[in-house]
Amino acid sequence: MTEHKKTGFLKRFFFSLDHKDIGFQYLLTAMFMAAFGGFFVYVFRYNLAFGPDDIPLYGNLAAKEYNQLVTNHGAIMIFWVGMPMVLAVLGNFLIPIMIGTDDMAFPLLNKISYWTFLLSCIVLLSGFLMPTGAFGGGWTMYPPLSVSDFGYNNPNTTFKANFFTGNTFFLMAVALEFISMLMGGINFIVTTLNKRAKGLSLMKLPIVVWMINIASLLFMFSVGPLIAGTFMLLMDILVGTGFFDAYRGGDPILWQHLFWFFGHPEVYVLLLPSLGVVGEIFSTFSRKPFFGYKMVIFLVLIAGILSLVVWAHHQFVSGIDPGAANIFSLLTIIISIPFAGMVLAYLGTLWRGDIKFTVPMMFALGMLASFTFFGGFTGLHLGSNVFDIYAHDTYFVIAHFHYTLFPSVILGGFAAIYYWYPKFSGRKLNKTLGKIHFWGTFIFFNSIFIPLFWLGLQGQHRRIFDYSNWDKLLMQPNHIMARQIATVSLIFLIITQFIFLFNFFKSLYKGKVAEKNPWKSNTLEWQASSPPGHGNFALYPAVYRWPYDYNHPDRDTDFLPQNEK
Amino acid sequence: MNTSINKKPTLRDIPQARLGVWILIAGEFVIFGGLIVAYLLYRFRYPEWAEMASHTNIVLGATNTFVLLTSSYFVVKAHDAAIKKDKNKITLYIGLTILSALIFLVVKITEYSQKIHHGFTFSGKELVEQGKHIESTYWGFYFLMTGLHAFHVIVGAIVLFIVMMGARKGKNYQRIEVAGLYWHMVDLIWIFLFPLLYIAN
Amino acid sequence: MNFFPESNSSIALEIDNLFWIITGVVGIATVITLFLFVYPMITRKKKRTKIERYMVDFTHKHRIWLYTGMFLLLMGDLYILVKEHSIWQRVEQELPEPDFKIAIVGKQWMWEIIYPGPDGKLYTDDDVSAINNLHLPVNRVIHMDLKALDVIHSVFLPQSRFKQDVLPGRTITRWIKLNKEGKFDITCAEICGLGHSMMRGNLFVESEEEWKDSMDKIYGIKK
Ligand code: HEM
Ligand SMILES: [Cu+2]
Ligand SMILES: [Cu+2]
Repeated sequence: MTEHKKTGFLKRFFFSLDHKDIGFQYLLTAMFMAAFGGFFVYVFRYNLAFGPDDIPLYGNLAAKEYNQLVTNHGAIMIFWVGMPMVLAVLGNFLIPIMIGTDDMAFPLLNKISYWTFLLSCIVLLSGFLMPTGAFGGGWTMYPPLSVSDFGYNNPNTTFKANFFTGNTFFLMAVALEFISMLMGGINFIVTTLNKRAKGLSLMKLPIVVWMINIASLLFMFSVGPLIAGTFMLLMDILVGTGFFDAYRGGDPILWQHLFWFFGHPEVYVLLLPSLGVVGEIFSTFSRKPFFGYKMVIFLVLIAGILSLVVWAHHQFVSGIDPGAANIFSLLTIIISIPFAGMVLAYLGTLWRGDIKFTVPMMFALGMLASFTFFGGFTGLHLGSNVFDIYAHDTYFVIAHFHYTLFPSVILGGFAAIYYWYPKFSGRKLNKTLGKIHFWGTFIFFNSIFIPLFWLGLQGQHRRIFDYSNWDKLLMQPNHIMARQIATVSLIFLIITQFIFLFNFFKSLYKGKVAEKNPWKSNTLEWQASSPPGHGNFALYPAVYRWPYDYNHPDRDTDFLPQNEK
Repeated sequence: MNTSINKKPTLRDIPQARLGVWILIAGEFVIFGGLIVAYLLYRFRYPEWAEMASHTNIVLGATNTFVLLTSSYFVVKAHDAAIKKDKNKITLYIGLTILSALIFLVVKITEYSQKIHHGFTFSGKELVEQGKHIESTYWGFYFLMTGLHAFHVIVGAIVLFIVMMGARKGKNYQRIEVAGLYWHMVDLIWIFLFPLLYIAN
Repeated sequence: MNFFPESNSSIALEIDNLFWIITGVVGIATVITLFLFVYPMITRKKKRTKIERYMVDFTHKHRIWLYTGMFLLLMGDLYILVKEHSIWQRVEQELPEPDFKIAIVGKQWMWEIIYPGPDGKLYTDDDVSAINNLHLPVNRVIHMDLKALDVIHSVFLPQSRFKQDVLPGRTITRWIKLNKEGKFDITCAEICGLGHSMMRGNLFVESEEEWKDSMDKIYGIKK
């Protein structure tokens, strides 16, 4: 601790190898990128509700810019907010301290991984400065549109002209981000396997540590082919190879397979750590053991493996073999079973619980509820290849995947921040502001996306700048109203986030000082001082039990830390 | 009640660096695996590619296979020397490995210039002009796969060099094993690429 | 409030129907899950002993509930799969004999419709192409050869609940049978660049005589 105060902020921010500092860097960077992602969505949603002219804080919006903003919103939210938030921030901050050790297995690799990530952010954003403008072909980067606006590589353009395009920068940024997260993942897994405290067997690990590791593994096994695909696509753009050029033997659908072979597991990569956070919080604030610990881990592994073989449900109508589509439909619908088991186990933790509605608990409940009731269940609709014929690429899909991603990344992320804030800052967040923030976020989130489900069923297709061409189908008064409700809710949602920012930064300096274990929780991080000093523990704990012995019948207290005999 | 007293964090018996490199190797295999699967899909679809593959230089390819295989042997020897902390032998064998890497790269460059000379370029522009559209994409795979592999050879050689310099100062002998593992991977990937790209049919 | 736009084919009604079947299955699941969610929250103040709270799965009978829940959902899943399977087969895997055949080519940023011309055969010299306006007869099996020229587009007929991506260098044949006359939409559902949101076409479903008339006009036989 003492060492830290002396080193200057900048030095600490940029060069520290401490896992908590790196976690904090990831957090600030993710928040910075979220500001971009959020601003973009504000601009294009405003356009959809009130037209492209005179958008406050932006000006007039053109069709090309609309595509660019949608594309970059999607990519930023997934790769530059979601991935760092649930994997890098949680993994870095939580893993070493929850397994009772001093730091990551490879601190330098950790630092390099952050720098690579930062570089990828810069590369992505500089795409906006290119002469051709930022990339606007959808975050899925389907070729041939991602090769050039006209779908082919013009043999007469020079390498240099091809290089300085939004497309190239977008792809390079994505590849860098993948590499950064791969390095992080190696670190998490090795750390977890090798540096666990004495007595901490794998079956005594906190569920969130399990989830982050499974997510890292899943990421690692699914992203490889897409990294290869990214190189291929880059070559198509830069030197004019024909990997995805149908007129030269290439196959545009190959990219879709490579992309979704990664893309589907990717949504679980974003979901699992967040489910882990919710598990910790449920157990702590129900004062009950985590129900079905081994079962949940088993089911997650099953779901993880299944997630590698369902990718083509994103391609039911993209021209794949219709016979194969039946199998993918079957597997997709079946994957709901392990998730149902997990959700039921989580509800088993709440059952008969001594539930305390703290702010993290509210976010956790909100996360699980919106994920299950709207995200998961509409997954059954879309898993059916027949209904997907109609729903594919409409706002029904948009609403569905936002109901999975927004809870995972944003609600789960906030739950984690509220829960561990006292640990990492040594101070408490303001409770009342926290509650206002929760209700604002939760209500406005729902009032954005419920209308979008309905618009999707009405046939409103996605990535469209202007619906006025479909006057009969999509421009009736109630369509316009639904769009406006969504947009106004979004504006309120964004305003609500300023409450959080205020609370977050003010409490860093002025919050009430937090004790060591404010939530009376069992896991090891609460045994370190708040905030933990360099090396985390003065004396390293030995572990005697699993982390969820709340209300143990043989004890007087209602909690029993892992390191007590 | 609190009975947790350890002055230092616990370490399990897993050799950390080796585990890390194993995971890295698994990751690399998935990357190359993706490329290879994509290549095979096209290869089976287009019989024309067999003819293109016959334009590769099997003699040079086989030479390179041989060079890499011997270099793997040198790395094993270097590891033995590292266990004995024999600085001279380490320098010798890693030096030989790096030399093999250089030979590999020189052969590669010769091959590339031959290909380019015959009009088989990355983008296959000349083939396209002759109307051989589908054939041109073969060379995209050829250059991308071998190029990516050659990049790994370069990285591997640099890593070996750094490790060797460390060992000469008497530091971090265990790193030789880890770098060696990585080198074996580079070797193994070539063993996959060679028959796939060079041997027609 | 209507949930779906008007429909113009029998398949469309089946797809809408499937939506409600799935929603039914999901609805039952929702009610059960919602109960499990809310009940512990409203009874949270109840005094309970530690033994009651210390509910660990591998000793506790509540574990059975987990299996039951998963099993129930499995039944629901299978029900959905059974219900949908035959529709998919008919829509995507079978091609009934056509009464009429056309081709649709997506290009930046319009739909080119290729009619077979007076000889009734597609891909012959007398083919006639039109832009964005597709005239089809009611109650006939139509084959559509779907293609794209430059980038990927997607033929989306919202009122027929029909969608198929079209790819450069590939021809995909699908069939459709419409049972309602009127003017409907053709939209592009796959981002295809700058003009994606302007890629609109019209589908005119006409009675036999009207349709013959429009065809004659398109073929230039009648003014
Ligand atoms: C803050 C509230 C958010 C709102 C109101 C919102 C709204 C939207 C809308 C309306 C679209 C579709 C645009 C179109 O098709 O024309 C979209 C696309 C997308 N959003 Fe969001 N979004 C939000 C947050 C998020 C988050 C948190 C994530 C992920 C973690 C996310 C990921 C995506 C992705 C991947 C796309 C697809 C982009 C594409 O079509 O290429 N969004 N968003
Ligand atoms: Cu998926
Ligand atoms: Cu389009």
